[in-house]
Amino acid sequence: MTNALLISLLIFPALIALLILLVKKRIFGNIMINIYAIVHFLSTACLVFCNNSSEATQYFAVDNINKIFLLVLSLVFLMTAIYNNGYSKTMTNLSNKKVCLYSVMTTCFVWAMTGAILTVDLGIAWILIEATTLTSAYLIYFHRTKSSIEAAWKYVFMCSIGIALAFIGIIFLNISAENINSLNYEVLLHNTKLFNPFWLKLAFVFILFGFGTKMGLAPVHFWLPDAHSESPSPISALLSATLLNSAYLVILRIYNILNIAECSLYGKIMLAVMGFLSIFITAVFVYHIKNYKRMLAYSSIENMGILAIGTALGGPAFYAVILHLIGHSLAKASFFLTSGNIMEIFETKKIKSINGLIVADKKTGWLWMASFLAICAFPTSILFISKFIIIKTMLQKGYYGPCILFALLLTVVLYGIAKTVLRMTFGELSKEKNEMIAQNAKKITASMYIPQVVMLVIVFVLGIYIPPFLNEVIQNTLSAL
Amino acid sequence: MENGFIILFGLTMLYLASTSRIISHIRVLVVQGILLFLICLLGFKEASLINIGFLVFETLVVKAIVIPAFLYKILKKTHIKRDDAANIPHFYCLFISSFILLFGFLASNSMLLVKNVSPLCFGVSISVIIISLWLITIKHKIISSVIEFITMENGIFLLSLSVAKEMPVLVNLGVLLDVFIAVYILGLFVREIDKEFKDLEVSHLSELKDYE
Repeated sequence: MTNALLISLLIFPALIALLILLVKKRIFGNIMINIYAIVHFLSTACLVFCNNSSEATQYFAVDNINKIFLLVLSLVFLMTAIYNNGYSKTMTNLSNKKVCLYSVMTTCFVWAMTGAILTVDLGIAWILIEATTLTSAYLIYFHRTKSSIEAAWKYVFMCSIGIALAFIGIIFLNISAENINSLNYEVLLHNTKLFNPFWLKLAFVFILFGFGTKMGLAPVHFWLPDAHSESPSPISALLSATLLNSAYLVILRIYNILNIAECSLYGKIMLAVMGFLSIFITAVFVYHIKNYKRMLAYSSIENMGILAIGTALGGPAFYAVILHLIGHSLAKASFFLTSGNIMEIFETKKIKSINGLIVADKKTGWLWMASFLAICAFPTSILFISKFIIIKTMLQKGYYGPCILFALLLTVVLYGIAKTVLRMTFGELSKEKNEMIAQNAKKITASMYIPQVVMLVIVFVLGIYIPPFLNEVIQNTLSAL
Repeated sequence: MENGFIILFGLTMLYLASTSRIISHIRVLVVQGILLFLICLLGFKEASLINIGFLVFETLVVKAIVIPAFLYKILKKTHIKRDDAANIPHFYCLFISSFILLFGFLASNSMLLVKNVSPLCFGVSISVIIISLWLITIKHKIISSVIEFITMENGIFLLSLSVAKEMPVLVNLGVLLDVFIAVYILGLFVREIDKEFKDLEVSHLSELKDYE
């Protein structure tokens, strides 16, 4: 049963991509993405909730750690696929071939992320994380503008170099484990006592910097604002809400090995420094930001920083990390999808040119506000609980200085984002653009609102009630860390 | 003999650091591919046949023929000859690269006690990786960046050879495939950037920023 579901998750997309390429009809491509998203979601639900067997293939398995990541990926992909139904109707000026390639690459991109999450072998995870870079490069370059080629070039080049550094880390891990000739996480975890601590620590530095590039941790985050702002909005949502998580999963697994090998103090310091640096960079840049999609990208860097700090703290903060991961992915996906609506209505990414969003399109305006409230941890957003637990853990452990810095930086980021969001949402529409805006607002269909509503409802409900089935999955994840 | 080839591999980086003609850089890639093939051939005595076959394919076919041929094609189409406006003059480039290579040899001395690692291979590969990363930061043409990315990958390949244990064939295959596609995509982007910006200067790629 498990094997069949795993195969359906990994082989099915290849068939779909092939079919889209053969049929070459844009509507067909869109339908296929929807079918893939539904199959993905159902298979994931079965694997995560109904399956207790430990059956697995050699390289792919569902274990306690990756269940929650798979669930988040599947839900965000389903929502993005629904949004895509409306979004693809706005691509009227593009050729059939281009839209079909968009569908094929989206399928391949999700396939690579699913594989990277499901794999239990570090080598295969490396290959698939690099595959995510290569498949999403086309999607970032989709609009074929000067700035999109610049973003795509930086993305592929930086991430490839980052991932190459991660490979050096894997080689060092191989040197560290003298008598073990395997990259399987289970095997590595069972033999942690045999590792040479020096080489293990060195391996972690390279793996953290390598996969950290992909995760968007400062100071190796430079590709992220460019790539997120230049890609089509559904792809930005996928990049931010799922791709960064898959890279984080690899770091988490290696950190777990470091933890058991009792070398984690070193890893903790590195994670905490990179985490604080990420929030600091966001606080500096978000204040004078000119492009709202870049603002959302910087917010992703900040949230990845929070995940890194939570991981470094350990203990109860791990629980916060899992909650933060779920909350950030859903809220940020909703934020990015809504930014797609704004882009459609105002035809610009410049914050300066946008006023009175709520007048232009009431639903988009409120979704923009609600997404902002969700991401800034306004109760009852689940992010409130996660940030609260992280601050509490810091205080309990006596880290008063870092705690004050953490709260201060988050406040600056909150102010920066709030200033922009409020300025865009309220105010009056400029008269010259009134007609164009009214015309564009009609293009926004129901499928471009529903996914955000669903995700935001989940984020706000999870803050007051976590259903037992989800709680069990979270507890299982915690027990494995 | 094997050590001689490893040292020659390190020296190719000095040549790369001291020349500005792109065609010479591509020739260096061919030489590096052949040297890696020879190092593999002499180094493996007990490896499985599949692994040897795969390594021969990777070094001789992909690294020494396919990738350089692809880059040569791009070079023809973009009409670029030299990358002479590097941030640092060639003499200093050569000097700093030699220094990094020396550091590699010194590092290899300290590796003598580590089991399962071939010291010279380790030291040279680390210095090749560092020189490549450093050259990426100082060169001005984006095609040079792609070439240095490949030399870095060659360095990493040598590093993986320095560890006595074999990686599974599947992992090697995946790594090769990814690197190959990455080079292919970067190559396509080089042409697109040439069309769009009418030049291949790295400095043109600075439109996306938050502060003026």
